[in-house]
Amino acid sequence: MQAALELESVTKRYGDFEAVSDLSFRVEPGKILGFLGPNGAGKTSTIRMILGLIAPTSGAVTVLGARDVRQVRDRIGFLPEERGLYRRMTPVAAIAFLAGLKGVPMAEGRRRARAMLEEQGLGDAKDRQIRALSKGMSQKVQLLSSLAHEPDLVLLDEPFSGLDPVNQQSLEALIRGLAARGATVVFSTHVMQHAERLCDQVVLLAKGRKVFDGTVDQARSAAPRSLVLEGVFDPAALAGLPGLGERSVEAADEGAIRVTAALQAGAPAQAALMAAFGLGLDIRRFELREPHLHDAFIVLTSAGGRA
Amino acid sequence: MTRLLKIAFRDYIAYVRTPGFWLSILLMPVGIIIFGWAPLLVTQSEPVPSLAVVDFTGQGYAAQIGKFLKPASSAQKPIARLVDAPGGPFADPAAAVAYLKPYVAGTRTLPGGGQLEAAAIIRPAGDSVDIDYWSRNVTDRSGELAIDQAVSQAMRRAGLAKAGIGAQALASVDALSPRLTDYSAKAGGRASQREKVRSFAGVGMGFLLWMVVFTGAGMLLNSVIEEKSSRILEVLLTSASVPQIMGGKILGVACVTATVLGVWLTIGGVALSISAPSIAADLGAVLFTKGMIAYLALYFLGGYLMFATLYVTVGAFCETAREAQTLLGPMMILLSLPMVFMTQAISHPDSPLLATLSWVPVFTPFMMAARAASDPPLWQVAGTGALMFATTAFELWVAGPAFKSGALSTGRFEIRNFFASLARRTGE
Repeated sequence: MQAALELESVTKRYGDFEAVSDLSFRVEPGKILGFLGPNGAGKTSTIRMILGLIAPTSGAVTVLGARDVRQVRDRIGFLPEERGLYRRMTPVAAIAFLAGLKGVPMAEGRRRARAMLEEQGLGDAKDRQIRALSKGMSQKVQLLSSLAHEPDLVLLDEPFSGLDPVNQQSLEALIRGLAARGATVVFSTHVMQHAERLCDQVVLLAKGRKVFDGTVDQARSAAPRSLVLEGVFDPAALAGLPGLGERSVEAADEGAIRVTAALQAGAPAQAALMAAFGLGLDIRRFELREPHLHDAFIVLTSAGGRA
Repeated sequence: MTRLLKIAFRDYIAYVRTPGFWLSILLMPVGIIIFGWAPLLVTQSEPVPSLAVVDFTGQGYAAQIGKFLKPASSAQKPIARLVDAPGGPFADPAAAVAYLKPYVAGTRTLPGGGQLEAAAIIRPAGDSVDIDYWSRNVTDRSGELAIDQAVSQAMRRAGLAKAGIGAQALASVDALSPRLTDYSAKAGGRASQREKVRSFAGVGMGFLLWMVVFTGAGMLLNSVIEEKSSRILEVLLTSASVPQIMGGKILGVACVTATVLGVWLTIGGVALSISAPSIAADLGAVLFTKGMIAYLALYFLGGYLMFATLYVTVGAFCETAREAQTLLGPMMILLSLPMVFMTQAISHPDSPLLATLSWVPVFTPFMMAARAASDPPLWQVAGTGALMFATTAFELWVAGPAFKSGALSTGRFEIRNFFASLARRTGE
């Protein structure tokens, strides 16, 4: 199957500074890809190369089957990280204008704008000037303006930033809806929960280099599981337990302590737990904690950063 | 409709649908009318000043002065109204001055009420006379000049009469004056009002062009700054090419300025047709013959494109008008120079300095428009036009990538970044 988006050994240099190094990944049509990485990881440069706004120093970018993104520009929707719209335009006019630049006839653009605004609960605001809308509302309008032409590939740069929890939830639903109708969605974010809930695939960048490319579960497996033991005992007694790695100790209720110990790869938690009980430690509570994407993000980006 | 036209249409509508736009273009002619009529309004609203003449010569100069204070036409007001000096007759000039000074200073009023604005004390000085002119407003010299002219004429006549020239001979000598006929070498006959209108039309169009070009360029700058600061430019760049965005914006604001120009010319044309129909007819004839409109349109187009491209490119690097000012401030001083020289084109359209300035591309549109009346040689029109359009084409070629680079840049405006992006293109 032809990829909706494919980057092959893409490098971008600004003078002596290498913003993106030898980056390769592909996204299948209809999938949701989370593009993750700390600030300065090269996410915006990569998105700009995908959009054809800047040219890679080397490597190739193929978007919707085209090497020249200008040929498929009308099939791409883009929401920039820093947002703004024409303040004196109405949401309907703004959405119709931007859809018009993507080839949607003006009347059809207006019809779609009204329908989308109604669907997103902005029906009452559709004919007000954008400057009169709240920040959240105008962000939603801008998102809709990047979708009104029904793009096959949607690039969203930090789409959740600045949105309240309710709007974040509705954005998640919107992204799922886009994928359900067959569009490919690529979004960058710092909020791992969104990526964890939404993404079929995540690509992690650190200092311009790809440090991970795979599913959320694969990413999570890069971070260790951990065993949490809570009770009244000497934490030094845990030193000899099998399969435990780095430990952190904190105070718990009623004079107890809580030890969170990383489990070594492949080590069964039961063995460590049985050994702990075998030592007669006063353990009141225990928990096997699966890693979140956030943990994987920290592990992978730290490892990538050191590389 | 292409993307370029869609962008142009949006920009045009964004301006013309605001009440402020129409208010400002309608207020401009009102402002010009007020500016033109203000001095007359001030004069008309001022009461006629009172003037007392105390004559110690016995020559009856007061009556002569009275004639010179009368208005030149019924539409005008007299320079001053002669009144009897309060407290007269006086023993000597010093006594007259001492008595009249409080009246002129405004601390005392005339017996019948009212103020005395000025007093002239005329006293003999050998064969001549001395005049001491006391007034409250020393900057208004009209009364003083009228007195000087009246007394001078009376003195000359008295001198000639003393030399034996009779009153009749004097009158006939006064009536002598040459008959001067104004011919124009270019017209090959008598100079007509139309030729003078042509001179003023060229300079007027030069000023109008300057004003419209910079109004339009300023609008473009603000529009691009708004789009840059709100990152709309980045979104536009994902939908349209740089030439489409720049072209659309330039065309949109060109339509706005054409609307402004159309409204101003209509108002001006109607006002001129009502107040001076013959001048309006001559102006129409001047503009619509000998390709004058095409000539002015050529330089209008070149000038607008040249400055619009520059302003759009600068705007793409700036997030605030203050940042743009950093670069455009010094440039505006340079570009104000044509305003100084254009007025000279009325009387010296072919001066070597003006002809030389016409070859500087940034001055070309304004200088050549101002020189239109003198029918510059065809080689100059073709040469300056070609140079102007070549400069504009070069500017567009350099500005495209610079515009994109500016639109995608973030952070504070740095002049060196702007010039570096221009240099990158020229160095390719």
